[in-house]
Amino acid sequence: MPASSSPASDPDASAGPENADAPDATDAPPDAESAGTEASGTAVDSASAPASSVTLGAVQEPQRLHPLTLVLRVGASLPALVVILLPTLQNPSSENLVSVILSVVYGLVALPAIVLQYLRFSYRITPKQIVIQKGVIRRQNRSIPVERIQNIQTQQNLVARLLGLAKVTVETAGSSATEGSLEYVSLSDAHEIRQAVRSFQHRTTEGAPADADTDDAPGESLFAMDLPRVLLSGAFRFSLLYIALIFSAVQLIDPAVIGNVVQRAVHPGGRLDQIAEAMGAHPVLTLLGTLLIAGVLGWISGIAIHLARYYSFSLWLDGDKLRKRHGLFTVTEGTIPLGKVQALILRTNPLMRVFGWYELEVQTIGMDVNEQGHRVIAPFAQYEDILALAQQVRSFDLPETFGSVSRLTIRRRFFRYTLALSALLGSGVYAWPADWWHLGGVALPWWGFGLVPFILVWAVLQYRNHGYAVRDDGLYIRRGVISHYLWILPTEKFHVFHTTATLFQRRLNLKTLFVDTAGAATFAYPEVIDLPAVEADAQMDRLYRRFQTLYRTRIEEASGAPDTRLGIEDRPRLPVSKNEA
Amino acid sequence: MDASSSAPALSAVVPDDTVRSLDGAIQSVWRIKLAGLTLAAFLPALFYDLTHLFSPDAWLPFGVLSGTVLGLGLLYVLVWPRLRYRAWGFALRPEELYMAHGVLNYVRTVVPLRRIQHVDVSQDLIEREYALGRLVVHTAGSRSSDVVIPGLPLGEAERIRDEIKRFILEDPLTEDPV
Repeated sequence: MPASSSPASDPDASAGPENADAPDATDAPPDAESAGTEASGTAVDSASAPASSVTLGAVQEPQRLHPLTLVLRVGASLPALVVILLPTLQNPSSENLVSVILSVVYGLVALPAIVLQYLRFSYRITPKQIVIQKGVIRRQNRSIPVERIQNIQTQQNLVARLLGLAKVTVETAGSSATEGSLEYVSLSDAHEIRQAVRSFQHRTTEGAPADADTDDAPGESLFAMDLPRVLLSGAFRFSLLYIALIFSAVQLIDPAVIGNVVQRAVHPGGRLDQIAEAMGAHPVLTLLGTLLIAGVLGWISGIAIHLARYYSFSLWLDGDKLRKRHGLFTVTEGTIPLGKVQALILRTNPLMRVFGWYELEVQTIGMDVNEQGHRVIAPFAQYEDILALAQQVRSFDLPETFGSVSRLTIRRRFFRYTLALSALLGSGVYAWPADWWHLGGVALPWWGFGLVPFILVWAVLQYRNHGYAVRDDGLYIRRGVISHYLWILPTEKFHVFHTTATLFQRRLNLKTLFVDTAGAATFAYPEVIDLPAVEADAQMDRLYRRFQTLYRTRIEEASGAPDTRLGIEDRPRLPVSKNEA
Repeated sequence: MDASSSAPALSAVVPDDTVRSLDGAIQSVWRIKLAGLTLAAFLPALFYDLTHLFSPDAWLPFGVLSGTVLGLGLLYVLVWPRLRYRAWGFALRPEELYMAHGVLNYVRTVVPLRRIQHVDVSQDLIEREYALGRLVVHTAGSRSSDVVIPGLPLGEAERIRDEIKRFILEDPLTEDPV
């Protein structure tokens, strides 16, 4: 239990002298650098673990980024130069002098700016905070308290890996973006920084010296994926996003160029040519062919993306933190404190589900743009393995049976989807040209209404896949057909409780129950949709009551007495009498 | 109403507790704001009508479009704030902030006080005219992480803010809020 993280509470006996010593040690280096390093080393040495003193000495004085950062930044600024020089490159003549002058000006401004930025950037890590000073014109001095740090992530893209560099990002709760970013430091420095912060956190939270875990000593390995597993996992996922990107990129290219490429790829009279010709012969065949190609492309890109992202995925437990590392080109390494896990999410799609494959995510607060506030803990594993793993992240008791929502949800969904389909098809019919494809004497969109039975099936499937269970230890919700979710929300992490009823739900006396947890916005929320109104309200009250009881007990355990804030005199309330007077 | 049927369960903690309504003056604030909105829709419609006044192929007689916009807008301005006001209720309870609101989408929300990150009282120009304040409660939730109670007398809004602040500061649990 984090005992002394709040400044209000009394500092522990062991933390007291150390906290007092630390500022002295950090103030020393500017006066006499070599002596200061020694001083800081000994100060920490006497206070706590000798193993971490080396790391402390290394990072406590202000540090610059790695010199190679300069090279990388100049490299990153080159594309802008190319854009400026583009007219000259395309058409070298004296008339394009302007862009040459511009590029010289650019060089005169950008290059010194990069150097100045580098020179004016420094960071330093003290037992209490990370201090980052930066800015050429406007100086910025940012200090991030160590105990507020949620996650320290190191990232290496391909170039950085070749040069042995890494980008370190520091995330905290309460800010929606990454709060500090060190781009780039050497890989060993990155490890040292993380190591140092971790040992400081250990000491502030437990008042005990950090366990001398040497860097990269693998803790208890929880999950790892070898190459075949990564490939298999990719094979189960389509990535429609990249198809869209490919198609939109194709749009930008001159059709004649594509024609040329296709011409060159397809030998006249060859087998491919014949297939293409046969496909062009009938619109339905063309459609099927396009779908097939799109499907194959999506499949391949799914595999490629997965390979790049999750290559040599490994997850291990390091004290009270999960650590994971993965990636082919860009290697990402991150830490997730177990106590900061807000919710567990099991995901799957129909294909994966048939073969029993699931993905495990956890919801955290430090926002990671790439994963939408959700961190993938295990991208691909069998159901039993996933459950066992999830149990290690946070123990829970998965209910045998889930309660279902009201059957009226089928009706509501059916009406809603049919209406949406009608609106789509209606406008399609309206805009359908007379000389286009007509089947059986009516415009093609009319045939779209043949989908209505499938909508019914879809609505029933959604009803069947939706269930919830209210337990003492939390709320369990499963929902979704195409991407099926199982949310496990621990009572301890409940945040805000809602029941909502839209106009249409009110007519059928239904409500949606939603218990929010801390985290970033996502696509799918753990809502229980279309419960009978009375049940929804009752369940919300029940969940809230559990939450209340849990924290009241905790307060009693911590302070040895019931919450004093709830006494008749002290509890928050509206001063009704004063107001009316 | 749903709130009245299920409110007793929640208020069992404090028997004398009742769900309170907003300050009546908020209706005027809403009316002014909606009137501005209506005007913003009416003026383009009027402009359209005027520019097509003498065109031979007008598909609508003069004034139909702008008249409809104005009529619906006036109805909206007159009726909506009243409905919205009647739907709003809130209560500051020992451990939570409870609120129920919404005309079309009826929402009941319970915000445990210990989950509140910080509280603001804000006021815009029109609200200042009526001495009203808006209580904005920030949580770390993933959706609708800001909860707003509009139309409180400024003094009361500040009092609620202070009560919540005090509650959070005196928390005997020293663990992180999230």
